[in-house]
Parts: sequence; structure tokens; C-alpha cells
Amino acid sequence: MHDEEFRSRGVTRRTILAGLSATAALSLVPRGAAAAEGKEAPQLAAMVKDGKLPPLAERLPPKPMVVTPLEKVGTYGGSLRRGLRGSSDHNGILRMVGNQSLVRWNMEFTEVLPNLAERWEVSADATIFTFHLIPGVKWSDGHPFTADDVVFAIEDCVKNTELYSSTPAQLAVAGKPVLVEKIDDQTVKFTFAAPNALYLENLATPLGQHPTLFAKHYCSKFLPKYNSNLDADVKAAGVSSWTELFRAKCGDIEIPSRWSNPEKPVLDPWVVKEPYSGGATRVVMERNPYFWQVDTEGNQLPYIDELNFGISQDVESLMLNVISGKIDIQERHISVLANKPTLSQNMQKGDYRLLSLVPSAAQQCQIYLNMTHKDPAMRKMFADKSFRQALSLGVNRQEIIDIVYFGQSEPYQTGPRPGHPWYHEKLARQFTEFDPDQANALLDKAGFDKKGQNGMRLRPDGQPVFFAIDVIPTLYPDLVDTLELVKSHWAEIGIDMKVNTIERALYYTRGDDNAHDAAVWPGPGGLDPMLDPRDYFAFHPQGSRYAIPWTLWYTSNGAKGEEPPESQKKRFKLFDEARSTADIDKRGAIMKQLFDLAADEFETVGICLAVGGFGIIRNNLRNVPEKEPDSWSWPNPGPALPQQFTFTS
Amino acid sequence: MLKFIVKRLLWMIPSLFAVSFLAFVLIQLPPGDYVTTYIATLAASNEIIDQNTAASLRERFGLGDPLLIQYFKWIWGIITEGDFGISFEWQQPVSGLIWERMALTLILAVASLLATWAIALPIGVYSAVRKYSIGDYMFTAFSFLGLSIPSFLLALVLMYIAAVEFGQDVGGLFSPQYETAPWSLAKMADLLAHLWLPVIILAVSSTASLIRVMRANMLDELPKPYVTTARAKGLSEFRLLTKYPMRIALNPFISTIAWLLPNLISGSVVVAIVLNLPTAAPLLLQALMAQDMYLAGAFVLLICALTLIGSLISDILLALVDPRIRLE
Repeated sequence: MHDEEFRSRGVTRRTILAGLSATAALSLVPRGAAAAEGKEAPQLAAMVKDGKLPPLAERLPPKPMVVTPLEKVGTYGGSLRRGLRGSSDHNGILRMVGNQSLVRWNMEFTEVLPNLAERWEVSADATIFTFHLIPGVKWSDGHPFTADDVVFAIEDCVKNTELYSSTPAQLAVAGKPVLVEKIDDQTVKFTFAAPNALYLENLATPLGQHPTLFAKHYCSKFLPKYNSNLDADVKAAGVSSWTELFRAKCGDIEIPSRWSNPEKPVLDPWVVKEPYSGGATRVVMERNPYFWQVDTEGNQLPYIDELNFGISQDVESLMLNVISGKIDIQERHISVLANKPTLSQNMQKGDYRLLSLVPSAAQQCQIYLNMTHKDPAMRKMFADKSFRQALSLGVNRQEIIDIVYFGQSEPYQTGPRPGHPWYHEKLARQFTEFDPDQANALLDKAGFDKKGQNGMRLRPDGQPVFFAIDVIPTLYPDLVDTLELVKSHWAEIGIDMKVNTIERALYYTRGDDNAHDAAVWPGPGGLDPMLDPRDYFAFHPQGSRYAIPWTLWYTSNGAKGEEPPESQKKRFKLFDEARSTADIDKRGAIMKQLFDLAADEFETVGICLAVGGFGIIRNNLRNVPEKEPDSWSWPNPGPALPQQFTFTS
Repeated sequence: MLKFIVKRLLWMIPSLFAVSFLAFVLIQLPPGDYVTTYIATLAASNEIIDQNTAASLRERFGLGDPLLIQYFKWIWGIITEGDFGISFEWQQPVSGLIWERMALTLILAVASLLATWAIALPIGVYSAVRKYSIGDYMFTAFSFLGLSIPSFLLALVLMYIAAVEFGQDVGGLFSPQYETAPWSLAKMADLLAHLWLPVIILAVSSTASLIRVMRANMLDELPKPYVTTARAKGLSEFRLLTKYPMRIALNPFISTIAWLLPNLISGSVVVAIVLNLPTAAPLLLQALMAQDMYLAGAFVLLICALTLIGSLISDILLALVDPRIRLE
């Protein structure tokens, strides 16, 4: 298990996940190595010769960003095949291509590195961020990328209330949107209304791509401010409003139409050739001739000519493509543990090797008992800490791990993963032992000592102790198996539970309406405790399912929802404090206090540490890390820089 | 005849309104709306959408409006401008999305229909004429086998064999190089080379029932006096069979044309998904699952319209083919 590796190492923030980069980590050497001698792909060279494209030196920045290939300097050519699902799978493209933000994550998911911004300064109170862009970078149509584009993207697009009725959360602090100003062509200043120490980390996640998403010279054509003739264009395009036209042409971070307009200038290594649209059976992207990164020998990236995303309606047919060797790299959709035997058996036939994913999640199966239940008696029962303790002690975790997870996990509550510098022993391990006797004793003491005719316990008001746990079988079949085992364990201590398998939209609606007794979900926050702390306090209006009304109170500054208990309020304060603390050690100390409080309250019941997934890499595809974090915030495989992936044959 | 057709056509208008309204309500019935499903889909890959963005999506699509208002906005657009609305998911006009896939859907449906008939008709006739012969038993056994294997399972098994044992390209209707190429002879040939697998799979399941229908009908007709008379007059056996009893026995084939047209779209959903065919069926299913109302609504409207047209066609054909049927 990878976590063994984590534990054997030191616990500084820099070395968590050191196990990930078995070979050397990707790093950036000082710019300007041998850029002037740069080489380019043969197709591009031919186009230059025919006069269809300016020479390489005019397309690259004077000092392009240099990427050190993971294993070796690659060779140009090849078409990389990967699979998408029929619908709403646009993020499958984003993860591979669209990670060209101002900054990016390092391979270990621990540090933010320069990307389109070559350096930056942060004011001491973390309110002002000044970014210096790499001079001479060009959009995929050859137009220069400058500070004007960044200012345009935020001030004219994202802050346009007709386009975005509310500013994306990342760009608004204390209820006020950020102010972006141009200092000179290469310098932009972001000013927040309050400290926002996590901004760089947020900027490295996919939701941080807004500043580099919209090219001013192109997208301004679809804004009323810049185009007086827009009404006519809207009519001609056959859409009903200019905002629709803007989205169809320029897209947004997370909508399919981001990948449906081949004309849209981008800063990505590949540009759309055959778009992702409703009727598409595949998406093809070709190299961006103006891509602004080179390898250590000055060769322009990317190495691979073309990306070919086949669209499968059905995951089984995707699996067939994988085992018959028709996919070059894939972990999306096929990464569940149940597929591992099939994938391992066919390694020779499909000529691939396995890629292992380190989950960023903490918990495989987090049980959220609704402590703000609408029924006062249920609320009282779930809010009773000894009731929750008894339930936790009544679960035979080892049995679940052996049967459902093939022994690949360990009993766990929640908290940063073992080996993480913020690992919290009590939060992670309390009440994980299997002790039915103590569970029974706790339940008797808490007033659930009478039993009904069926041998199940009764509440003090005489009603049977019974509740349903919502789970989505199509999404997480393993959680259904886990819950069935939990149900049998709890029956032994006289607790009657129903595994409530429901459709996923209903699951969400029940949560939004606070109509659920309890629900399960994989608990995040293992490697990204600051980005998604939903299990440490009522943080996420859809995810913190043990107390959604409390989260509403928090996110609306007390205007909506329900006032939470003191311990939660203290944690809100601590988190806000951590969020505005730039110093990472001080931030860790604050988070430790928060974890102490969370451990004392014991709000969620966890089963076991989140289990890692799998993927495949074809044997002739090199420069790919064989182990990488699996996270939305670290949108694998993007931060491993697919532009330096290369084929050996 | 003409009066009948005009009357039927006029009746279609209110039926379409009623059906489209019902369809719209049904699509809306499941809990949540497009944005909820969208968020849920993203969450399935542990991806997160910005809370503020979700709220503005809902506003933009008018999902807060009451159902009736949403319906009238939609139907008004269709009547006045032929505008079926925009697909939420793809941000593309619905009409474009639908027509894009209809041609291939048509080809596949017609091909599998012809295959089904080509297999079922002769076997049905043979089984009836040679009742309880070894051939009859064999065909019966095979046809029941075909009927009992779910077509998606057959699709998966055949795909597995083709992909793993023979290294064939499976799924889809074209080789990669022809997928987006303009139509040409080579592309047609490529289509034919890929078409046989889905056609066989689709034909296998529907053949069995048609064989039984054909056999039963023929058995009804064969002992009738007109057959004996014709035979007594010295008509050759083949001519006799095709001229009279078969014509009558075809009745159920013709009356099912009404279902055939809507089947074009919705009949082969599971097979189309498993085999990854670029037909209309997977798009319809996606639209329903994503609660992409206007896209799904347009499909349902199209299916209803086709059902109505189909039943008109089968009524007219029946009148032509079966001398016993009168329109009055």
C-alpha cells in the first residue's frame, strides 16, 4: 500500500506523497536554457516551409518555460487514445488538456509552481496578489497573451452579472468580488476585500482557470460592451440571448461547450479539431503550434501530435477497448477496485501497465447521521454522542475491508491521510475497534434499553430505533455492499437500519431539503484538508450531510439555515483564520485546534481509509508517472503534464 | 379514402398537443432538475461545481418558472419559429442535434427490419407448411433461443469475441478514418462492414416472435376451403402459398408498422449504447437522464408524431392488402 511509504517518511509538507514520484519529480529549470536552438514537430516545420506558419522563434516566447521530462526527452508523433463517456464528460478533456492556469500544482500535490505567471508577490496580509506573466506567450491563433486578457477575463466576463449572476466563490472574499488591474503588459494585480491566503492553491485547481480562459481579442466580440452589432450576431447564430452566444463560443471552465468551438483561442497544448458536441462520437484535438513550453533541449512541446477521445456510451465497452489495447492511458470511469482483476489479467494482451491512484479522499464510506433532522425525536437520537459512538463501535470494520475492499484498507474515522503532516491520531482512529459489548452498554445507558417484539431497541418515547441510510447504487455499488454488512452488524446490537438505494438526483434533492435520515458518501479531505474540509465542520452546503442547515448558516453569515452549536462556530472562526494565514506552519497549528474540536464532537461515522483506484498506461507511452494523486483539485493526469508524454514506437 | 386520411390528419393535432404536454410533465416529474443532475454527474467523478455558478445556471435556464410557463414557452417557440429550444447540456439548438443522428438511425432500423423479415417470413411459412417436421422443431428451438437471450448480452458477448479473440474494431458504425469523412463509396463500404453486427443482434431478438406469428397465421389459413379449392384447380404449391394465405398472414406485419417508426428512435436503446452506435437512441436516453428537458421533449414529440403517422400508414396499407378490411 502506498500509505506505508508515506508513513515511513518524514512529515514535512514538502515530502508528503514523496512516494508518488518514484522517479524524479517534474521540475522547472531556470528558463532560457537552449530555447534559441528550439526544434519543432515535423508537420509544423513543413507548414513553416510552406509559409503557412511563422518560424518557431516567432511563435515561442523569447524565454519559453522549460519542462524537464519525467524519464527522457521525447520524440514527436503519435495519436494518444483515451475514452470519454457520452454525456457530461467534458471534464475528462479538461483533466488532460485544460490545466493552463496562472499557476499549477507540483507532482506531489504539495506546492504551487509557476505556470503562465513566472513569478508573483503576495502582500503580508494576503489581500494583494501581483502576478508577472511570461513575456511573449501567444494564444493558439498567434495573438499575444497579455495582462489585458487577464483583466478582460475577470473584470468584463466573470464580474459581468448578466453572464455570471454571482461571482464564482474563488474570486469573491467577504462577499465582494476581486479587483483585477493591469500594471503593465506583463503584470496584473489582484486585490481582495479580505485576506485570502489560500488563493494560490485555489488558483491551481480547475476552478481557478478563469483568469486565462477568455482571449480578449476573440471573446470581446460576444460582449455588448465591445460589439455594438451583437444583437444581429445573436439572431444570425439562432440563439436567444447574447449570454447564450458567449457561452457557445467561449465556453466556461466546466461546460461541454468549452470544447465545442475550434475557433476559440486557447493556451493549452492541444486545440480542438473535432468538437465535443451532442452528436459527436469522438473528440480530436491537434497540437497548438504556439504552445509556450519546451523541453530541456529546447524542443517545443507537446510531443504527441493528436489526442483522440473516443466516446463510449457504456463503461463495459470502454473496458473492452482497454483490454484489447485500443486505449493509451485511462483511469477515468474504469478505476474502481472491482475492475482490477480484469485489468491485471489482460496486461499482456492489451500491452499496458497499471497506473495506481492515491486517493485524495480520507474515507471510503462516511456515514452522515442527520443531526439536524426535521423530526425532533430523530434529531435527539442522532445528536446524542454516545449513540454515535455505540454505532461506530458496533461495526466490524475488518470484515468489511476483507470482503468488500479485498483487504486493501484499514479501519479509519476521518482526517488527513496517514503520512500527511496534519495527520490527527484521535480524529482518525477513535472508536474504530469492534466492541459490541461496549456498544450495547452505551446504548443502554443512553436510554435505548428497552426492546420491541422483534428484539430491536426502542427509543425512550417507545418508538423503534429505525432509520434509513441513503446511497446511490449506480454510483457507488461498493457502498451498498458495505452498508449491507453494517446493517447486519448493527442488528446484533439491536439497531434497525434500512439501506435506502435511490437515484442520484433524488439523493441530492433529499439532502438539499434536509429530508434524509442519514446518507453515505466517500469523505474527502485526506490530501486536501483545506480545500474540502466538509467532514471537519459544517462547510459544504451539499456535502456536509450531517447538518446541512448549519452549513447554510455559515455560508450565509447567519442569514439562512439554523444556528449551530458553539463547537461548530469556533471551528468556523478557526477555518477563516487558517484561510487568511499565509504561513503554512501557523496554518497547520490552527487546523490542529480545529481537528481537536472535530474529534471531540465525533459527528460522522467512518468505516475505512479511502481505497486507491487504478488505471492503465500502454507500454509504449513514456514519461507518465505510474502513481499519481486522484483528485479533482489535482485534476489527474493534467498536473503530470501530458504535453511531455511521448511514444517510444 | 381521402376523407378518411384528412380526418385522421386533423385528429393528430390535438393528440400531439396532449401527448407533448404529458411528455413534458413526465420528464419534469423526477425529483430535481437539470442543474441537480448536472451537479450529481460531476460529483460522480468527485468533481465540484462552484455553488454560485450552479445558482446562476438555474436562473439562466428558467428552471425556477412554473411548469406551465416553461411548457408554453417551449411549445410557442416550436409553433411560431420551429425553434425546439436549446439543449442545456450541449448549448446547441435541439433540432440540429436530433437530425444529425436520424440518418444513421434510419439506415440501421431499415436494415434490421429487412433482415428480420428476410429471416422470419420464409421460416414462418416453412414451419407452417411442414408442421411438426424436424426442420420445424429445429427452427422453433433456435428461435426461442434467440428470443430468450437479451440482446445487450448477445452484443457484449459478440463484442468480446470480436475484440479480444480477433482484435477487431468493435463499437461504432465507422472505422476511425471515416468517422467524420464526407460520404463516399468507401465510407458506404465501411458502414456496411460495421453494420452487420448490430443488425444481427437486433434481428435475432425480433425474429423469433415474428416466426411464431407467421406460423400461427399460416396455420389458420392453410386448412381454409379457398386453399383447398386453389389446390384442386392445379395451382402450383409455391404460387398458391404466396398468392393467398401469405397475403392474409402478413396482416400483423403491416399493422405493426405503427410501432416500427417510433422504434426507429427508442427501440434499440440498450444495444445502441452497448455497441456505441451513433444513433438517436443513446442521445434520447442521455437527455432523459440529464433532465435535459427540451432535447428529451423534442425526442418524445418526434416519437409521438411518428407513432401517429405510422398508424395512419398501416391503416392505409391494410386496406390495400387485406381485401376484408374496409375504411368505412
